[in-house]
Amino acid sequence: MKCEECEVLIEDYADGVLDQKSAGPVREHLASCTSCSAFHQEWTREQEIYSRYQRDVEVTPLLWSSIEARIKQERAGARDGMLARLRIQLGGLFAGPRFSPAFAAALVVIAIAITVVVMTLLNSSNQREQLAGTNKNVASAGPTAEGGNPSAKPPTPDAGRKEPEPSQSVAINAPTEPAPKKIPAAKLVAARLTPDQLVREAEQKYLAAISMLSRDVNRHRSQLDPIMLARFDAALGDIDRTIKDTRRVVNDNPGDPIALQYLLAAYSKKVDVLREMTAGSEN
Amino acid sequence: MMEAISLVGQSSGRVGTLMNSSEELIARARRGEDEAFRLIFDRYGRPVISFIYDMVGQRDLAEELTQETFVRAYKNLNNMRDETKLSTWLFGIAKNVARESLRYKHRETDKVGIDDDRVIELSDGKLPPDRQLLDKELSGVIKDALGALDEDKRVVFTLKVFQQRSYEEIAQITGSSIPKLKTDLHRARAEMRRRIKPYLGVGYEV
Repeated sequence: MKCEECEVLIEDYADGVLDQKSAGPVREHLASCTSCSAFHQEWTREQEIYSRYQRDVEVTPLLWSSIEARIKQERAGARDGMLARLRIQLGGLFAGPRFSPAFAAALVVIAIAITVVVMTLLNSSNQREQLAGTNKNVASAGPTAEGGNPSAKPPTPDAGRKEPEPSQSVAINAPTEPAPKKIPAAKLVAARLTPDQLVREAEQKYLAAISMLSRDVNRHRSQLDPIMLARFDAALGDIDRTIKDTRRVVNDNPGDPIALQYLLAAYSKKVDVLREMTAGSEN
Repeated sequence: MMEAISLVGQSSGRVGTLMNSSEELIARARRGEDEAFRLIFDRYGRPVISFIYDMVGQRDLAEELTQETFVRAYKNLNNMRDETKLSTWLFGIAKNVARESLRYKHRETDKVGIDDDRVIELSDGKLPPDRQLLDKELSGVIKDALGALDEDKRVVFTLKVFQQRSYEEIAQITGSSIPKLKTDLHRARAEMRRRIKPYLGVGYEV
């Protein structure tokens, strides 16, 4: 190896990043060349000098305290900012007369219907348990007035309106039980689940409802007035952003009741809007 | 190895915590565990502040920028793509923070005089006084020499020589190609060598 070739490789050699194949000839050259060997020694001495470099700076406990304080500040600021944005967004969604007056009455009806749907969804597991329990009693008491299989029906507003009927039949069979029986069952379920699990369960219900309604809406999109459709889509876009933002806040602060409230309110609003779209296409 | 050395003298519980992998610490910090982010700071605070100090040359500014680096890191934890490269990611943020600062502020030549008490405070007291004096003087020379390098050369020199980063890591931190890094490093070393040459043969027999 010539000195010129060695000069090119010597820094990598000294850094230890040369592979064995290239390092061998450099090593041999350094052993035989006084000039290159002197350079290598100087290089080694330089590293020793750099290792003695003392910086006028240290990591102090105060430094971490400052970082921690700023992180807390940022976190609080981000949360407040996010919630403020959500308040504005949701406030806008709830306040503005975004839809034609013709929808106003329908909105109220739909809101009630949605409440029933959501309640039906939330209570469906309880109802199934209750119905399973009561079906035995009903069967033993004779043929039912409703055709016998209310649990097979999808959770529609109609199903919601018929909800009292099974309860009545329960009342016939066990007059002292029905109303008090439902509350303890719900309490038992609630007692088993943490608030976070309850929210997740409610979220799943909402997502299932949204998915069902979205399918309906997509089937009937062409039947909607284009201007109205654009407004609905804009509203849905706003709500989706709200859901995304709120979800992030909830992920950061799983126990924050306000954030959870906003998240479920946003889902609820989306269900409302989708219902409106479905109703609009039917009209 | 470095981690094992840094653990000496710490309580066993603390040691156990420090053995957490970067991925684990990041996951915990993302879940909002403040202690996990504190451990990240414990592990990388010193190299980061040293790197920033080498870039800006001022203690107060280096502390301020280190603060900014870790706050930015915290805010962007969810955007980190490769959790195995936490230190590379942190150095990348530190480099950006330092460069932004250099861009907006006129660099003041903070020459550390031979009688500067701050440097004397840093001496560990185990070296003979003449050696302490030499180290102090030499540190001032190195600091000034670093300050005289242009930014690209200073970044690569600091990361390679002081932080022992590989070319691949430096390429990730700076976004430069490895051939450019090698050229910059070669030139930076030559400039630094010229400035510290008077000290190469003085009192450093080990």
